[in-house]
Amino acid sequence: MGSLSIKLFGKTLRNPVMNASGTLGYGREIEPLWGVETLGAYVTKGLSLNPHHGNPTPRVWEEQRGLINSIGLQNVGVDRFFDQYFPLFQEKKTPIIVNFFGFTEEEYIACAEKIRPHRLIIALEMNLSCPNVKQGGISFGKDPDLVHDIVMAVKRVTKIPVIAKLTPEVKNLKEIAQGAYEAGVDGFTLLNTIPAMVVDVEKRTIPIRGGLSGPALKPVALKAVYEISTSFPVPVIGAGGIMDHTDALSFLLAGAKALQVGTATFIDPYTIPKIVKGLEEYLKRCRCPSIGAIVGAARG
Amino acid sequence: MHRLFAYASVVDQREISRAMNDIEGKITTNDEVAPGYYLLKVKLSRPMDPFVPGQFVMIRVPDRDVFLRRPFSIYDYHRPVLSLLYKVVGKGTEILSKTGKNEKVSVLCPLGKGFYLQKRQEYVILSGGIGIAGVHALIRRLGTRSSVFFGCAAKKELALIKEIDTLPVSVSTLDGSYGFHGTVVDLLSEHLTTLREKDIEIFACGPAAMLKALRRILEKDKTPCQVLLEERMACGLGLCFGCVTKTVDEAEPYKRVCKEGPVFDLWEVCL
Repeated sequence: MGSLSIKLFGKTLRNPVMNASGTLGYGREIEPLWGVETLGAYVTKGLSLNPHHGNPTPRVWEEQRGLINSIGLQNVGVDRFFDQYFPLFQEKKTPIIVNFFGFTEEEYIACAEKIRPHRLIIALEMNLSCPNVKQGGISFGKDPDLVHDIVMAVKRVTKIPVIAKLTPEVKNLKEIAQGAYEAGVDGFTLLNTIPAMVVDVEKRTIPIRGGLSGPALKPVALKAVYEISTSFPVPVIGAGGIMDHTDALSFLLAGAKALQVGTATFIDPYTIPKIVKGLEEYLKRCRCPSIGAIVGAARG
Repeated sequence: MHRLFAYASVVDQREISRAMNDIEGKITTNDEVAPGYYLLKVKLSRPMDPFVPGQFVMIRVPDRDVFLRRPFSIYDYHRPVLSLLYKVVGKGTEILSKTGKNEKVSVLCPLGKGFYLQKRQEYVILSGGIGIAGVHALIRRLGTRSSVFFGCAAKKELALIKEIDTLPVSVSTLDGSYGFHGTVVDLLSEHLTTLREKDIEIFACGPAAMLKALRRILEKDKTPCQVLLEERMACGLGLCFGCVTKTVDEAEPYKRVCKEGPVFDLWEVCL
């Protein structure tokens, strides 16, 4: 049977399936149903230098084929994550990707500096959708120069590979990726949620503004994965509306080296183990030696 | 400290939540018991693990247009039949109300932290409208050891307490069509002085306005009280941090209703 294992940033992962940041709690919450060692890697909830309280409710809203969330980056802070939650991943020998964010360049740098290299930490994933409070609140990820500078600043203080998680709310995604690439970024995660909102017609109010995730996003994310993976020689991790192993395969075939599953877990908490199994069966059926062999195969 | 539930004395909450399962079930009953209120019975394909009253389930409605599961309090459970009482409030419950017998649903259960019982001289259970769904299992378990207060809009909603009509229930209606004319909290406050002569604990579930009014009448004595809260949920498992409630904990004010709740100490939440 073919192997699902992949090499990412010089480390071997048992499979290419990860959770999207913020969709698997701190990891321990899923343990009653299945073990975190099922994952190729666990992506942490977005962490910041200091704990962050998050937004008042409503924080979630179902839309047709999509979910709008406005959690507001609630997290316990990077220190408490490593004290309290990291031991589970050490015990289970499960690699992690540390997703982190800041509202100033200094916060990104200080947070990255706190995370010391460890054999289980395969990368830092920068959430670039945060507003830059020193530049009038425009998000870092919308300007190629800002992206360049912040990636470079983080690269300067860490030896851990750095992934840029990009927002789709830009005119030219390739230009943004170029900014990160020139600053030495080691990989991309595509895409973050799309800014969205809901109108309550009865009450004439806007109950929620947040990020749209779920199946509605899939075609947009696929196109982004295709475009960026053909343009830059660094790994792309695909995310956006992956509901089953067929969706997962479409991302791999479009050029993603690994995958992140988010919203689907809320509907069926067993989605991730099911996708892993589905990919195994696919390799067997196609007599394919390894999952890596199909990455980008649809691009011709 | 003496605890009432045999299993709660040997199994802590962490272990109870470890016992959750995703179980296939078949709808056996889905009847409108009062205007806009439905009683759903699901025959589970395998038994649900022991539950604590106040815990809930997440049900996947078999429809293409709804994709997230919906949370419902465990109304009753007699192996292998799980009963849920619900009110139609949105698209998910509307579609569920039109779902017929023999349809298959998947049920993630039991979830969250239920009511915590310690020995008291008397228990007081208060609910308003569909809030009865959250305390019904507790009323059944405590039987005559509790005083039950139920409030609803009008007499036509009395069907919601039909299954506990063998117990003495004090009823209030907003329109005065049955029992006490007014809110259930007003009704409770008339009995509070007598009730407080004993060592009591109150368990409540109902609309936000009811819980706020309850808090006001208990404020002075800080009477022990647990409240069951509801919130929009996505996962029901503590994964997404979507269903929070604000608490007095300054370091980490927002707690997950699905994980740290849905039952909270009234004096720890900011209503």
